Amino acid sequence: MGETITFWVLAVVSVSAALGLVFSRKAVYCALMLGVVMLSLAVLYAVQDAPFLAAVQIIVYTGAVMMLFLFVLMMVGVDSSDSLVETIRGQRFWAMIAGIGFAVLLALAVGQAAIGDPAGVTGANQRAGGNVPALAELIFTRHVFAFEVASALLITAALGAMVLAHRERTRPRPTQKDLAKARFVSGYPGPLPGPGTYARNNAIDMPARLPDGSVSELSVNRVIARHDVEDGRLPDDPELAEAIRQAAAEEEEHNASIAGPKEDR
Amino acid sequence: MSTLSPALLAAAPAGPSLADFGKDPLWITIIKAVFIFVFLLLGVLFGVWFERKLISRMQDRYGPNRAGRFGLLQSVADGLKMGLKEDITPRTVDKVLYRLAPIILVVPAFLAFSIVPFGPMVWMFGQHTPLQLTDMPVAVLFVLAMASVGVYGIVLAGWSSRSPYAILGGLRSSAQVVSYEIAMGLSFVGVFLFAGTLSTSEIVAAQAEGGTVELGGFTLNLPSWYVVLLIPSFLIYAITMLGETNRVPFDLPEGEGELVGGFMTEYSSSLKFALIMMAEYVNVFTVSALSITLFFGGWRAPWPISLWDGANVGWWPMLWFFIKLVLVFSAFVWIRASLPRIRYDQLMAFGWKVLIPLNLGWILMVATVRALQVPENNRAVVFTLAAVVLVGILAIWFRFDTVLQRRREEKAAQIEAEFARLQAEPEAGGFPVPPLDLPHYHGAGRKEVPSGSN
Amino acid sequence: MELYLPILVLAVLAGGFAVFSVAIAPFTGPKRWNRAKLDAYECGIDPTPQPVGGGRFPLKYMITAMLFIVFDIEIIFLYPWAVAFDQLGVFGLVEMVLFIATVLVAYAYVWRRKGLDWD
Repeated sequence: MGETITFWVLAVVSVSAALGLVFSRKAVYCALMLGVVMLSLAVLYAVQDAPFLAAVQIIVYTGAVMMLFLFVLMMVGVDSSDSLVETIRGQRFWAMIAGIGFAVLLALAVGQAAIGDPAGVTGANQRAGGNVPALAELIFTRHVFAFEVASALLITAALGAMVLAHRERTRPRPTQKDLAKARFVSGYPGPLPGPGTYARNNAIDMPARLPDGSVSELSVNRVIARHDVEDGRLPDDPELAEAIRQAAAEEEEHNASIAGPKEDR
Repeated sequence: MSTLSPALLAAAPAGPSLADFGKDPLWITIIKAVFIFVFLLLGVLFGVWFERKLISRMQDRYGPNRAGRFGLLQSVADGLKMGLKEDITPRTVDKVLYRLAPIILVVPAFLAFSIVPFGPMVWMFGQHTPLQLTDMPVAVLFVLAMASVGVYGIVLAGWSSRSPYAILGGLRSSAQVVSYEIAMGLSFVGVFLFAGTLSTSEIVAAQAEGGTVELGGFTLNLPSWYVVLLIPSFLIYAITMLGETNRVPFDLPEGEGELVGGFMTEYSSSLKFALIMMAEYVNVFTVSALSITLFFGGWRAPWPISLWDGANVGWWPMLWFFIKLVLVFSAFVWIRASLPRIRYDQLMAFGWKVLIPLNLGWILMVATVRALQVPENNRAVVFTLAAVVLVGILAIWFRFDTVLQRRREEKAAQIEAEFARLQAEPEAGGFPVPPLDLPHYHGAGRKEVPSGSN
Repeated sequence: MELYLPILVLAVLAGGFAVFSVAIAPFTGPKRWNRAKLDAYECGIDPTPQPVGGGRFPLKYMITAMLFIVFDIEIIFLYPWAVAFDQLGVFGLVEMVLFIATVLVAYAYVWRRKGLDWD
């Protein structure tokens, strides 16, 4: 009774989540819908007397694999729209083959379940004294080879992640000591002057005036200065505006110098 | 506990096992669920008060003492204030996920508490039932599963806020939580090796009495609490439970100096923020309760009390459990009062490079000892295996040692060379130094008069 | 099945409480509209314009997530092994030593390539 109710409720939830996965426009929503489908599957496993599989489904799929998806989504930009250009040759052909293969597989599985007499896991669980020991017995005796090969697969996964995502440093990371030295050698060891915060303006994008009355472009953060120039939010005072423009130009230069060597990586 | 004779311990009644669960009528289940819910709600309210009061005493001040007697109503007042504040939804946020994230955070936090054993079988309104909401063959895995669902709340709260601080905080925090989840999961393995089950009630039962071990003709009584037997496992767990719940010294997500409020920056101070804070405290209670269940004998009375026959029956164990929970929570506060926050790269390096290899080595050691305990096992094979593993570990360690030694020597030589160079060169490589021929560098021009001679 | 019913009951309680809190939050407090108040918080300066496509994040996190999967699977295998250790005997121990050693190869490689360093 309870099982039937659970099945029908979860069937509706997971199918609508799956549809949402296909039709939602934002990648993050797709990922979340996939998470919902996985959670419903986990509950179904639990109801079918396979609690270990249910927990693994949540921990590994919902917890780890989906988290990887989310991180990857965020890496490529969550809202970036999909490019519709097909880069793999013969993509449609192979997709069709895979689709037909999957359909056959699905039909066989459904047929197996419909025609054959379902054995269930209750018997297996009782024989070994619980779901977890029963599973252990199978994994570590009958399926030993698959288990050991799985570890090799994990190596591949780690290698793949390193090859795809790791950027090795070409030179050692500057330590605090190196930075301090560089600062002293630069001829300006002290802290930069703070921004000008006048009584009528408490924004930190306002350049300060030095004691001699001149404007210091060092006193305004270069990134903020660039935003100010881009958005056209310059102060009325031409002298101050010029300082901000200079700081922004410096930021552009700095960005260009970083972007330069990045190209050949 | 190791001093106790087995005869005394054998008298201890066994607690409920997995077979005792799933037999409650629905109304008993509802009573228990409501109890846990209220327990956690009140726990958060008074936990916050208790933490503030205790940390104040540690820092030599009074702490909250205005609202109610001893400031007991302080958290209630704070909660009301949060409810009455304006609920700000920034313009840029993703409205659906922004509201969903606190819910995703708080619900798994509550659910994880459902497998915590509070006590043995009791009579409740004419029903014989265990003092535990539910148990399952994979109870401890269930806690890990709920923790991994809770991480979604963090990531989504950070992402949906669409503010740099929140996004960075969310990513950092989730990376931290998943890293420490691994070390946490590994630290349980020792317990399972000894208890032979994943169900929390049976793990508590397994700690009722210590086993014995035959070693070279001697029979040794093993201590019954796993905290003694598996002290490295417990220490690693204790560290990871700080990392997993984002508590000091691992509270990087809210490193206010760098990230303002981390993933909760945009949640201002309305009820949504209250939910996030509640989830954090409930998580602290869950990991504390889990540490008690796995390592401190669960609801079983500690040694001097356990001599009393009625200590482990009826409703008393709930009191022992509660006292243990308060003590573990106090340890959290004590750590918060004592330690500074650590740096993010140190945090990740510690989790991945120290805790995980240590944990794996310890698991193999425990497994080897365990294999020796089983009489039908071939001892020669086990010893050979142990020797191979030991040699392997030693080889890795020596390799590390020599590499580190070489690196240290290189560094010393480098510093020495730099010193020599700077000494030979008066301008010191372009540093702004005062001229070195100033008169006071060569002694005073006038004759010095030693003090006390005139 | 009966083992999971209590979790459902607790989930209904906790979920109801959470949804209720989020739902009533806009109605319990005052509402005073202010443009600056609705900006993303960036310590007082004007918020950084949202980059096109929602912004990108360091690849660093992908390695962490991948290693997390690797070790998560290892843990998943360790649990049933630990539970059934006494029945599996020496053979189980040998298997697990081999398995851990293999996974450690990946771990050592990532460490060596400085995949575990954060800066």
